[in-house]
Amino acid sequence: MVDVLLEILFLELLLAFSLTLALVLAYFTIVQRDLVKAAVLSAGQSIAYAFTYYLLAAPDILFAYIPIAVGIYTVLLLYAISKTERYEEL
Amino acid sequence: MKVKPVASVSVLIILAAAVLAIALGATGYTPSLELRPLAEFYLKHCLNPFKKEYWAASPEAVTSMLWDYRGLDTVYETTVFFLAIIGSVAVFRFAEAALTSYKEAEKGKPKAEEGLSLIVRVITRIVFVLIVALSAAIALHGHLTPGGGFQAGSIFAVAPLLAIAAFSRRFLEELGLTKNKCLAIRTTGLLAIALIALIPLAFVLMGFAGSFIIQNQPKPWALHPVFPGFPVNLGPIWLAGTLILFNIAEYLTVASGFTLLFILLALPEEFFRRLMGK
Repeated sequence: MVDVLLEILFLELLLAFSLTLALVLAYFTIVQRDLVKAAVLSAGQSIAYAFTYYLLAAPDILFAYIPIAVGIYTVLLLYAISKTERYEEL
Repeated sequence: MKVKPVASVSVLIILAAAVLAIALGATGYTPSLELRPLAEFYLKHCLNPFKKEYWAASPEAVTSMLWDYRGLDTVYETTVFFLAIIGSVAVFRFAEAALTSYKEAEKGKPKAEEGLSLIVRVITRIVFVLIVALSAAIALHGHLTPGGGFQAGSIFAVAPLLAIAAFSRRFLEELGLTKNKCLAIRTTGLLAIALIALIPLAFVLMGFAGSFIIQNQPKPWALHPVFPGFPVNLGPIWLAGTLILFNIAEYLTVASGFTLLFILLALPEEFFRRLMGK
């Protein structure tokens, strides 16, 4: 029983770490003026979320989330940025 | 970007506080040790040979839910995806003749300049094959291991994306992935899903009374004669009835749908400018 509780505690710690990391990356995505960097930071946030899905034992979601949120979504954002200006104006 | 020391220190404090609070049990135990009754039902019955009236013949509870127990939901999801791609194609509508004339004009230009550096191109060639192989493996094992048609299709979609970035649009066209072929593959996949879903209803016409739409395995409590169900295994190969068929069809639909979108997005702006000028 102690083993299980320790395992859960470790899982909780990793979950807290990855979700807070996602929050921090989301904050920097919003304040970032360089849109390309913001897109890459957003991809980093998605990786943190993907790690969360893995910790919550949802590999099916993970498999769909990684290619879409890290690959396709980021590339679509970069494509949209390439059609407009790279730096956000004040 | 300059990170102010106050901001970074407060972020660190928030991180530490969140980790500490959760370590002390602020949220309770997030992944609960107890299963909810519904989850228990699916886990108990998805591969239970002693209670075959409820089983989906697949060890993968998620795929059993997606394509058997809650199959109609997934069919509607696929329809929504189909409509989204249709919308994108409608936005990018143009006469095929315009594309052909554009290509004719492009033919004279030198080819060696395309794409990124040699290192990127070689690595992308290797990764391209690996991604396609991985996505096919996930689709074909969707009824045995985590993953399934949609996951495999979206993983596949990364491959043409990389190819467009590292080489050019022409690389995909030389592989045979043109706009019309993608549309054809996607429609075939969707028709296959519809056909597989409707096969049990066709059995009704043949006199098997107890069958319903998106049925996978026979239900003995249904009206007799009972629909025999789809084959569970082919010798040593586990098929899980409709699940493998649905997964393959969904894989084709999603993979070609995304590829179609990227092929259209990768059309150079010059092409559209010329089209509008006409």
